[in-house]
Amino acid sequence: MNKTIIINGEKQNIDVDEDMPLLWFLRDRLEKTGTKYGCGTGLCGACTVHVDGVATRSCVIPVGVLAGKSITTIEGLSENGDHPLQKAWLENNVPQCGYCQSGQIMNAASLLNENPTPNAEEIDSAMQGNICRCGTYQRIKKAISQVADDLAREVS
Amino acid sequence: MSTENTAIESYATENNAIEKNATENTTIENVSRRNFFKTASIATGGLVIGVSLPMQSMAFGDEVKEFDFNPNAFIHIAENGDTLIYCGRCEMGQGISTALPGAVADELEADWSRVSVKQGDADEKYGHQATGGSASIRRMYIPMREAGAAAKEMLIAAAATKVWKIPADQCSAKNHFVINNNNGEKLSYGQLASLAATISVPEKPKLKEKSEYNYIGKALPRHDQAEVVVGKRMYGVDTKMPGLKYAAITHCPVLGGKLKSVDKSAALAMKGVVDVVVIPRFEVPFGSIGGVAVVADNTWTAQQALKKLIIKWDLGDNQSYDTKAYKAQLVKNVESPAEVVTERGDLKTAFSNAAQKLSATYTGGHLSHSPMEPNASVVYVEDDKCEVWAATQAPKAIQKVLGEYLKREPTDIIVHVTMAGGAFGRKFKCDYVHEAAVISQQVKAPVQLIWSREEDMRTGYYHSISAQHIEGSLDEKGNVTGWLHRVAFPPIGSLFKADTTGPSKNDVGAVDKYPFGLPNFRSEIGEAKAHTRIGWYRAVYAIFYGFSFSSFADELSYKAGKDPLTFLNQLYDANDNAEQKEQVKRSKDALALAAEKAAWHNRNKLPEGQGIGLAVHYSFRTYVAMAVRVEVSGDDIKVLQVDCVIDCGQVLNTDGAAAQMEGAVAMGMSLALSTEITFRNGAVVNSNFHDYPVMRTSDMPQVNVHFVDSGFEPTGLGEPGVAPFAPALANAVFAASGKRYRDLPFKPMTV
Ligand code: FES
Ligand code: FES
Repeated sequence: MNKTIIINGEKQNIDVDEDMPLLWFLRDRLEKTGTKYGCGTGLCGACTVHVDGVATRSCVIPVGVLAGKSITTIEGLSENGDHPLQKAWLENNVPQCGYCQSGQIMNAASLLNENPTPNAEEIDSAMQGNICRCGTYQRIKKAISQVADDLAREVS
Repeated sequence: MSTENTAIESYATENNAIEKNATENTTIENVSRRNFFKTASIATGGLVIGVSLPMQSMAFGDEVKEFDFNPNAFIHIAENGDTLIYCGRCEMGQGISTALPGAVADELEADWSRVSVKQGDADEKYGHQATGGSASIRRMYIPMREAGAAAKEMLIAAAATKVWKIPADQCSAKNHFVINNNNGEKLSYGQLASLAATISVPEKPKLKEKSEYNYIGKALPRHDQAEVVVGKRMYGVDTKMPGLKYAAITHCPVLGGKLKSVDKSAALAMKGVVDVVVIPRFEVPFGSIGGVAVVADNTWTAQQALKKLIIKWDLGDNQSYDTKAYKAQLVKNVESPAEVVTERGDLKTAFSNAAQKLSATYTGGHLSHSPMEPNASVVYVEDDKCEVWAATQAPKAIQKVLGEYLKREPTDIIVHVTMAGGAFGRKFKCDYVHEAAVISQQVKAPVQLIWSREEDMRTGYYHSISAQHIEGSLDEKGNVTGWLHRVAFPPIGSLFKADTTGPSKNDVGAVDKYPFGLPNFRSEIGEAKAHTRIGWYRAVYAIFYGFSFSSFADELSYKAGKDPLTFLNQLYDANDNAEQKEQVKRSKDALALAAEKAAWHNRNKLPEGQGIGLAVHYSFRTYVAMAVRVEVSGDDIKVLQVDCVIDCGQVLNTDGAAAQMEGAVAMGMSLALSTEITFRNGAVVNSNFHDYPVMRTSDMPQVNVHFVDSGFEPTGLGEPGVAPFAPALANAVFAASGKRYRDLPFKPMTV
């Protein structure tokens, strides 16, 4: 009997070697390519997904240990690409090559889940593991703070 | 992006005439009636305008002469009004596929929301597509605008002569409609497209005045961002197809080494492994350096099996390459007399009459491009067909290399260009695509080869390691009277000529033509043989030339007891070469604005430990000045703010231009402070981002981008921002702390 895992709300059989990192299960087995390979060793954040809502580097976590867990990838972050962060990313023209951005957005989304009103330092420290070689950091920070400000206004 | 070296730069500067000529010879054709789009699936009907430029050579070595620039593009207005622009240039994040179509849409009087852009595959119809030298915008700006203007005039003519039967000058075009000025009646572009295809192309379409621009010089949204934020944008790593096999590769760690033996048994025994393929070195520019690949049914299995191979290499002649020793040798080579390239005035007398003298040696290490997407492509070689899907800056080079390898016509190799997840010059070289082709041929299936991050870092094409020695003399008034500039670095030319022993005279063209007024001047070249592959890296030689000139000028200003800005202006003013008047003026103007924006004149009021440094550099025909403000405490350098001034002539897309500068600061900061590729025993020691520490978010300063409206035609932006950052930072650190950094990176990581 195969173990199962839930990816973006859909149940999937773990029909591969259980040691295979989630990244490659997503990319090569399920052909969901929004999650990217950048370093394979947890150093760059390009492969970030949510495991039960928490940002996780999919390149270093074996798919087998995630049996029964619920995974969200960039493709499943919102129904129509309308997560506040996705909107803020467009508004601020964040992406250059765009390759790192699914990891950036997923990491930022997890940050806001835990702390809806991060200050600049908290944003920096939460986003420190996500490399953008094109240098879009300034815009990423701006987009996150914008969403955080909106959230702060909603709660107050 | 980074295909241009200084040879081309000087070529470009000197050969304005040729370029102008090329622009004038642009042909704009009505190709609606031809079966022109062989591979692009496009609905028939509507109006298709093709733009082509005559062939034009790049001047970076005979071996690559056939990589000619001949950028073409197409505009298609469909019968429903949808307007599609096929852009043959390669997009890798620098925004070219937004900026150019923006210019077309402007002249066409199109509704930007109805215009979409499609990346062209490698095909004759686009001419040569190498994207490099920050040249895309420069070369295509006028032709593309003319094409848009021609299409607009044809749409107007169609409405005027075929529908309303009135003179064309009683009509106008706006927002995707042609309007009858007499009665306000309107016809949409869609309604008119097929009719317009029967009109002959106007010979001299009239371009808009600057005051009439709708899109040029404004902030345009990127056309592909909505796909990016939902993970749908397809990169080189993302191609999928039935029967796809996945490969992982390892190369001989030392350039020029050969495979002695490989024990494949443990790898082949792994479940899911299909084959192990030995790839011999292919001795053509951009061919594989040789390696061993494992093919499996997924990348991870291939990567795991690769570790099980027992490989013995014969390391060859470069196995003693050690960058620490090599850098020291380069320093020796530039600190003693070397081969003279250019001599102006009388340096000897200037030096012997000097009131004061100063000398300094600047060095820099190898750099790895390390784009976030490592090298990746899918290749399917069949008996009668070869198809490639690749993130590449040079699709034609792929056709050439694969054609040579497979002994087929280059035009028989079909290349689909995907988005590149960063490139910075690395993806101009198609060794990784060649390797995928070798593997596919052997396993008779489409193969996706993704290089691991480690392979990308260890067996890449590196920015040159370099040393420069400058000696300068001052008179009693603090004017520069003499300047000796010696350089040594393994040049890119070594890729094409194995017996290259150092930079060519062309390689120091940018030194000889630096727009400072240096009446008594000598340049010299020191020996520097390459022991690894040297490649174009975003901004190329401008990285170390910008560093040495702007650092030394700053050092001299203190020696002369002058304010660095005043001193720089004085150096430019001393230039009486009439041909460099424009360069002098534009450099000074950019510098002045950067100083103003950074409140240079109030820098004495900065808090303790802070300082501002200035630098300006002209490269790829664009001027970029930077004022960098830092805070230094002990060894800790914190970059607080960068005021960046660009004079790239007419800016096309202000938002895209600003993004390029933010990126250049980030890349400049990595190379100035922390990143260096180290070789020991012939092989790269670094392996991943823990020991090649590119900058991260907390290091990012506030970057403010300002434009000089100089009224010139647009020039490139992808690279020129990188050069001024490191020297401006070095100058700022000196101002803040009195410590002078002359070696890039300032704070290398010990690996
Ligand atoms: S690919 Fe997972 S952190 Fe880099
Ligand atoms: S946008 Fe290119 S790596 Fe981040």
